[in-house]
Amino acid sequence: MKKPDMLFAANYRYNLDRDLFVNRQAKKAFSLEFVDDKPAAAVRKRIEEATDGSEWKFYFNRPPSEGVRRLLEQDLEAA
Amino acid sequence: MEARTPEDRLRQQYFDLLPEIQRVVWQLEAEVRYHTLSILHNLGTGEQLVVDSRVKECESALEKLLRIKGLEGRRFDPDCAGEYSLLDLPDLAAVRVLVFPNRRLDEVDRTLRAHFQDWTAKPLKDRKHEVLAPRYFGYCKEVSGAVRAEYQVVPMLLGLFWRVEHPAMYKFRRVANSRQMRRRRDEVEHVLAHFEQGIEPYILPRSGD
Repeated sequence: MKKPDMLFAANYRYNLDRDLFVNRQAKKAFSLEFVDDKPAAAVRKRIEEATDGSEWKFYFNRPPSEGVRRLLEQDLEAA
Repeated sequence: MEARTPEDRLRQQYFDLLPEIQRVVWQLEAEVRYHTLSILHNLGTGEQLVVDSRVKECESALEKLLRIKGLEGRRFDPDCAGEYSLLDLPDLAAVRVLVFPNRRLDEVDRTLRAHFQDWTAKPLKDRKHEVLAPRYFGYCKEVSGAVRAEYQVVPMLLGLFWRVEHPAMYKFRRVANSRQMRRRRDEVEHVLAHFEQGIEPYILPRSGD
């Protein structure tokens, strides 16, 4: 299965404005670059990674700064 | 008072640069028209050569900068506002030469390349990485050493399709970028190229060419 299909199968939706795969329920977001660059097994591992859902978890090649994280959280909460 | 966002700063930079971008467009368009004039005068019945130009729009420039910088999440970092510059964009000013039929394309490309020798070639490619049209980036040094420009030489039917498709892509990105629409866009590009190949033998050059 291709990496984007793995994400869609796990209830992620693609956010075209931000180029992110987002699961609002799990509060997890993958950047397009992360999905492109990482092997399928690594993406699957992150999809299956359990979180408590209390705050957003971003899977980026380069972790977002506090400022970017704040903006993205606002975007994703409002979407 | 709230701090200015990176987007605010970039919008100000855009409007500060706008007169210079406009001058680059005028210069590039004039040079392209001048150097293709002899081809234009010798076109046969049904053959066409049209020179189109544009200044990149402000919001389109910001969006492009996010992409070429590879900023994940497509957000500028508010703590690094001073690090972003629209001058990093390669196509604030652009000229597109539309040519029909395709056999004229090489001639126009060679003629312009002879004049813009130091410009960097980066052909337009489709999603399968096949070359669709020649494209070049460089500076019109007579008017600006800062604003980079682009020119393309494209098959006319494809170029006219892009004239409608590109703004729609930008304004209705959510739909236009869907897999279904991307597939349809590929189909249109393929069919237009096929049509040009089919009609080309019947469009005759001027006798003596």
